[in-house]
Amino acid sequence: MNFDWNTEQKAYRESIRTFIRETLPENWEHIAHGPASREQTAFARDFCGKLSQAGLLVPHWPTEWGGRAADPWEAFILAEEMWMAGEPRGGQYMNVNWIGPILMLFGTELQKQTHILPMARGETLWCQGFSEPESGSDLASLRTRAVKDGDSYKINGQKIWTSYAGDADTCFLLARTSEGKNGISIFLVPMNTPGITVRDIPSIIGEGDIHEVFFDDVEVHEKWRLGEEGQAWEIIGQVLSLERVGIPRFSLASKTLRDTVALLKQEGRFIGAAVDQAAKAHAACEAARWYSYFIIDKRAKNIQAGPEASVGRFSTVICERLVSEFVVEHVPEAISGVHPMLLAHHQRGIVAGIASGAAEIQLNIIATQFLELPREAR
Amino acid sequence: MDLSLNEDQLAVEGAIEKLAEQFGSSPVDFHGFALVSDDLDRELEEGGYFDIATIPEMGALSAAVSVERLARLPYTAEVALSMLVRPHLDMELPRPFGVIEQGRPGRFVATAKTLIIIDDDKVGIAHPTADQVEAIPDSLFAYPMGRLTESLEVKYLPDDVASTVKTWMRVALAAEMAGLMQAALDSIVEHVSVRKQFGRPLGVFQALRHRLAECAVLTGGVRWLALKAAWSGDAGDAALAALHAQDSATRLVYDMHQLSGAMGMTLEMDLHLWTYRMKALMSELGGRGGQAQVVAAACFE
Repeated sequence: MNFDWNTEQKAYRESIRTFIRETLPENWEHIAHGPASREQTAFARDFCGKLSQAGLLVPHWPTEWGGRAADPWEAFILAEEMWMAGEPRGGQYMNVNWIGPILMLFGTELQKQTHILPMARGETLWCQGFSEPESGSDLASLRTRAVKDGDSYKINGQKIWTSYAGDADTCFLLARTSEGKNGISIFLVPMNTPGITVRDIPSIIGEGDIHEVFFDDVEVHEKWRLGEEGQAWEIIGQVLSLERVGIPRFSLASKTLRDTVALLKQEGRFIGAAVDQAAKAHAACEAARWYSYFIIDKRAKNIQAGPEASVGRFSTVICERLVSEFVVEHVPEAISGVHPMLLAHHQRGIVAGIASGAAEIQLNIIATQFLELPREAR
Repeated sequence: MDLSLNEDQLAVEGAIEKLAEQFGSSPVDFHGFALVSDDLDRELEEGGYFDIATIPEMGALSAAVSVERLARLPYTAEVALSMLVRPHLDMELPRPFGVIEQGRPGRFVATAKTLIIIDDDKVGIAHPTADQVEAIPDSLFAYPMGRLTESLEVKYLPDDVASTVKTWMRVALAAEMAGLMQAALDSIVEHVSVRKQFGRPLGVFQALRHRLAECAVLTGGVRWLALKAAWSGDAGDAALAALHAQDSATRLVYDMHQLSGAMGMTLEMDLHLWTYRMKALMSELGGRGGQAQVVAAACFE
């Protein structure tokens, strides 16, 4: 075992830090909070373009799709540095982490040619049309329906809590083409298609993050169906596995903790309970870090991580919570905007246990697949 | 970054696994607290396992992996200090080791040939004679506990050596705790998989499944922090690992007993052989507060 980065990895991390230092504007900290604000989304389009030109947007993608086939470690180092900087890629991180790779695996030539290169150039924003008012954790019960009509589908239904929908160009949409878990299909739907209405839902995460998306007789040609009819569940399994450890939340949590401790030290307040709480939160961050690295190490060796991804994800939820609570208790003024980056972390930390599969769903997966506990017959 | 064991480390892991298999089950007629195995101690000694940390291809990491595996056994022997602390002291010291912290009773003290004495910030070494120590047969801790019967002649160590000793004691504690946590968890996963109530195995009830899943997350985290600390030998890493171990153990000990119901209160179930070792480790090196002080000094510049 070797728990250290090699020379190339260290140099790569440093090159990302340099790029971030040279590219982020002076007022970045003020833009960074509200992870899907209009201002940040607009900034992200410009930033991702520059990132792409520097070869730092999709290094782990194959060369034919604008990458250089870098290993999973480089992709994760990149994600760590971006997340630690307040995720200046905005919602485009999803393209990098899973939408692009999933299209490469399951897309037709037309779908790949249309969508992947714009992603690699940092030009396009996607949203994820998964949750519905009656189908959150129970995603397989979704009711948005796609009915075949000639060589097109007519889509009707509603999505909710959809991040980035207000500015997205395309929706990675789940809709029902027949009954049951294996009756769900995926459609790649331009957000300017007639019949799509997007409404902002005010949220504690900040402006522009959560939306309702209504589909009224939205016509989508069958060439924009990803995979076969009913193949969504199989494809989504791979999406969620990439997504669970796709965001190295422990990196920003850890930085936030260090920044908070530095503030307390300046004021002579890093004493007593603060020391105990900070140490405990730091240990939780490091536990999440090393469990996540363990999963990336497997990926780098082409070993399927399976339910261990949920263990990594839940570790991250624990550390996010401890760090958020630490800031709220010891530097409450951060929540009032006095320290913008601490606020940026707070807003991102809120969703740690909810986005891309609730923490309790991760526990179910751990119980069933990792511990192999018996389960109730369904 | 490479988080797989190398060939030499895998070979040691395989050998320890084979050795451990002989000690996998407790005797059916044992209803005590500390299930000590002199045979396990002897086999480890004869196999040269107490020195693996000194072999470059294996290192302290191999020792930590071995300590974790052996801690999962229902049997106990003085393994962790000999495998992880002794090799980092620049002096020949006879094993087994024991620890006396703040004058309190300690593990393996009655049989130790070398005692590590911790008095506040001072760390010393002593070699007790048989009449200077005595066993505490009625202790609830699942280690053989002992105490001093008189003051010892202690050779206190220079600060840097004292710090090294404490660092490796923390690594040893975390590696041992990781194994104890895993064994306790495995034992309760098995229990709730076969024990039926309301016509169903207990393991189908979500209230229990989630608690077990959370304990699995904590156990995995402790193991990785222990291995990282064994690899680096860094004081901050060691304190983080020990802190996470002691903190997670509070949750594991309570939940594992709770989930085993009245069976876990009996000495017929092996659970206490792991949880009452965890309880003994919870207070060592100043407990969570002690580790937090080191983390604060070493990790927050």
